Amino acid sequence: MLVRRYKDVLYRYAERMTGRVDEAEDLVQRSLIKGFNNLSRCREPERFGGWLYRIVVNLCKDQLKGRHRLEVPLESVAERSSKRAGPDRDFDRSALREELYQALQELSPDRREAFVLKHVEGWSYEEMAEVLQVSVSALKMRVMRAREHMQELLEHYR
Amino acid sequence: MKKELHDYLDGRTGSDDLSAHMRGDAAAWDALISDVRAAGADGAPVGIESRVMSEIRARSRQTGWKRVLNWSLSPRPVLVRPLLGFTALAALVVVAVTPMAVGVASRDARLPEPDQAASALVGEEVVYVQFVLDAPDARSVHIAGDFSGWEPTVAMSDVNRDGRWSGRVRLPPGLHKYMFVIDGETWITDPNAVLYAVNRNGERNAAIAITGGAGTGSLAP
Repeated sequence: MLVRRYKDVLYRYAERMTGRVDEAEDLVQRSLIKGFNNLSRCREPERFGGWLYRIVVNLCKDQLKGRHRLEVPLESVAERSSKRAGPDRDFDRSALREELYQALQELSPDRREAFVLKHVEGWSYEEMAEVLQVSVSALKMRVMRAREHMQELLEHYR
Repeated sequence: MKKELHDYLDGRTGSDDLSAHMRGDAAAWDALISDVRAAGADGAPVGIESRVMSEIRARSRQTGWKRVLNWSLSPRPVLVRPLLGFTALAALVVVAVTPMAVGVASRDARLPEPDQAASALVGEEVVYVQFVLDAPDARSVHIAGDFSGWEPTVAMSDVNRDGRWSGRVRLPPGLHKYMFVIDGETWITDPNAVLYAVNRNGERNAAIAITGGAGTGSLAP
């Protein structure tokens, strides 16, 4: 029952954080199993969701740290946007979404994490602070920086 | 970006509170965020629930010593202070060069065979799935899937000689991909599959989700 209830929300987060479906699936499985095995350590059952979320957040961080140096830099948002600039401003919606997805992957893990929780999951800063164990002001700054990065793509929406 | 816009995006102000020229930016941001939400998956892939549950069930069936063994065989990151690491290494060297100690250790620390350890992780639940394909002109039909290493090893039979081929496969809970192989050379995707999965080469495989749990049936195509 708990697996059914939380698998989707955990997967949405893991997939956007890692940018890879196989890694996201593995992380969600590991998070749910770890959560089950450590249920006795959840001291506030009414906050089980946040506790479980913290597990996937930490596993995602470990995963991203491990591969940090192996990654090939993606084409920057600015570079991609400049390729789109020109007389033909029409664009394919799915291609734009792909660009957005890539732009999200270019953010530092801290900023991506904050942006995803704020704008994909719709959390309040207070909820984010509780799960991520980071101050509200620091999270606001991370979201602001993430938005500034994503702003390069805003021209397509005007 | 102006603070006014950040406040709007944080939900502290509404669009009515924005200046006229800022409303265009706010609308653009709303559309962008909506597309960010739509850009990734909306939920977990099919089969993840059954895989997690089957792993949890397998673990809960393990006895105490099997859990310890499983824990000790699973790779995990370990943080060690270099000084303590060297000290521990030195202690190990001392033990290793003491023949008596080696003799005692080797007698007491006999571990079970690796396949015994592996079997502790395998769930006992399986489901027999009946695959069916209408292929009136076929001389033979086989099933190949990730469960057979993509080798067409499962033969189907046309019992009534009416072109309806069927074959049974024993599958554990999880998501399984498969194809039919006609006359040993033509690979076709099951036209009646419930699910489909596209592989890295862009090929469309049929897929079937087997859910775990006592008394549950298969979702056979």
